[in-house]
Amino acid sequence: MKREIGIVAYKCKKCGKLHYPFHDRCLACKGREFEQVKPQGNAKLLTFTRIYNLPWGFDQRYLTIGVVEFENGVKAMGQLKVDESYPLEVGMTMQPSWESVRVQYGEDVYGLALRPLE
Amino acid sequence: MRDVAVIGVGMIPFGRRDEDTLLEMLAYASLKALDDAGLGDKTVDAVYVGNMGGGIIQHQTAIASSLVDRLSLLPAAADVVENGPASGGSAVKNGVLAVASGYYDTVLVVGGEKMRETTGWRATDFVATMTHPQAEYIYGVTLPGMAGMFTRLYMEKYGVTREALVAVAIKNQHMGGLNPYAHVEMAITKEGIYDDHASIVNNPTIADPLHLYDACPVSDGAAALILCPLEKLKNPAKPPVVIAGFGQATDTHTLQEREDPTDLKAVTLASQQALEMAKLKPSDIHVAELHDAFTILEIAESEHVGFFKKGEGAKAALSGKTAFGGTIPINLSGGLKARGHPVGGTGVAQVVDIVWQLRHELPKERQVKNAKNGLTVNFGGFGNNVLSFVLRRVEQ
Repeated sequence: MKREIGIVAYKCKKCGKLHYPFHDRCLACKGREFEQVKPQGNAKLLTFTRIYNLPWGFDQRYLTIGVVEFENGVKAMGQLKVDESYPLEVGMTMQPSWESVRVQYGEDVYGLALRPLE
Repeated sequence: MRDVAVIGVGMIPFGRRDEDTLLEMLAYASLKALDDAGLGDKTVDAVYVGNMGGGIIQHQTAIASSLVDRLSLLPAAADVVENGPASGGSAVKNGVLAVASGYYDTVLVVGGEKMRETTGWRATDFVATMTHPQAEYIYGVTLPGMAGMFTRLYMEKYGVTREALVAVAIKNQHMGGLNPYAHVEMAITKEGIYDDHASIVNNPTIADPLHLYDACPVSDGAAALILCPLEKLKNPAKPPVVIAGFGQATDTHTLQEREDPTDLKAVTLASQQALEMAKLKPSDIHVAELHDAFTILEIAESEHVGFFKKGEGAKAALSGKTAFGGTIPINLSGGLKARGHPVGGTGVAQVVDIVWQLRHELPKERQVKNAKNGLTVNFGGFGNNVLSFVLRRVEQ
């Protein structure tokens, strides 16, 4: 079953600044009213890294993490679901999905997963 | 505000200290500082302990209360200051404010961490708990991972090469080899870690484009200092060093919300505040201890503090300007890269190392001749909470 991307960004009703994650006051104008914005479309890869010294909770050899920008300007971190040898590049278009990104206390934790748009 | 002098300093060798508990390490460093200040059997008014992980790793909270009891400093006021890897710097700041305000006259500041008693897996997770719980931590991002993403952007924007990162690692491990308090005392060369086949084994990727030798070790260690008002110092045995300025600034929790993720705004603001308070310019600084948890950070911070223009830090590292004998020697202790990084202790250790420099107490292979002004940068989170101190030698 395809899950909806579970990220909600917040657009300041006063100045229009887009935030993710949530802030109680706008980082630009201190406004307190926000319109909820869902990320839209595909996402551009802004930066990434492949981590080999993993934290507790990840029983695998490496983990690829990146920060992306969606077509409507929402920026978020996510896990990049690619093989170790895949030639990732900053600026690539990635297809987002909402998948299990780790298991904590026996439960799946869902988050942003990204794959290169073929 | 009163001028605040550092009248005593102490440190224990960083590294793997299986024989000591966290409390013992804090106590040993504190005793050294008390003795260095010549306090003998006297007590202090207040104690600030910089520590990040006692509650998580050692399952021990409220360790400042334990420390005053162990050191017979009762009934001194005692607080733990937790601010991630900037806990030490925050503890120093609290001590400085307490003395400068006139509320306390004699303050012990000590910072320490015991990180090697847990696995690397757990230690990495413990440090990652300072990332955003929902927007970052769940993905398994680590601090080396944050640094890897930052490095990729910095390399692309400013043309920083791996060779420049390696130059920082070589310099700092060379200095660590000269420092009896350093965790890593092994000097390294470019051969074997940079561009030959052996480097694949010796210097594996940890969070690309960062490699093993780009990262600081996970350390046990502690450092301490004693503060008092300069005006109360009568015929000091050692040249007084004052905290001439300090600054602290914060930035967004997540890297993605920074307008330019390569711009370490909090480093710029904190160091500017410290320099302005001291009425000095970056060019007036004779020696600096910067927070090189990763080699890229020494380069980036050297630019954000104002020692070099943006994009010039890597060239400076390659040309030896930041080495011993260079125009602005950085991390002559070995820095976090070689002295080590017991997270809560680092900010205090940086100040201790600068005090030794300004007292002219170090052996000649690490002592900057006639050093009068020094600067530190203690970098918390991934640049979201930064402290900077400017220290000055007071001529008698």
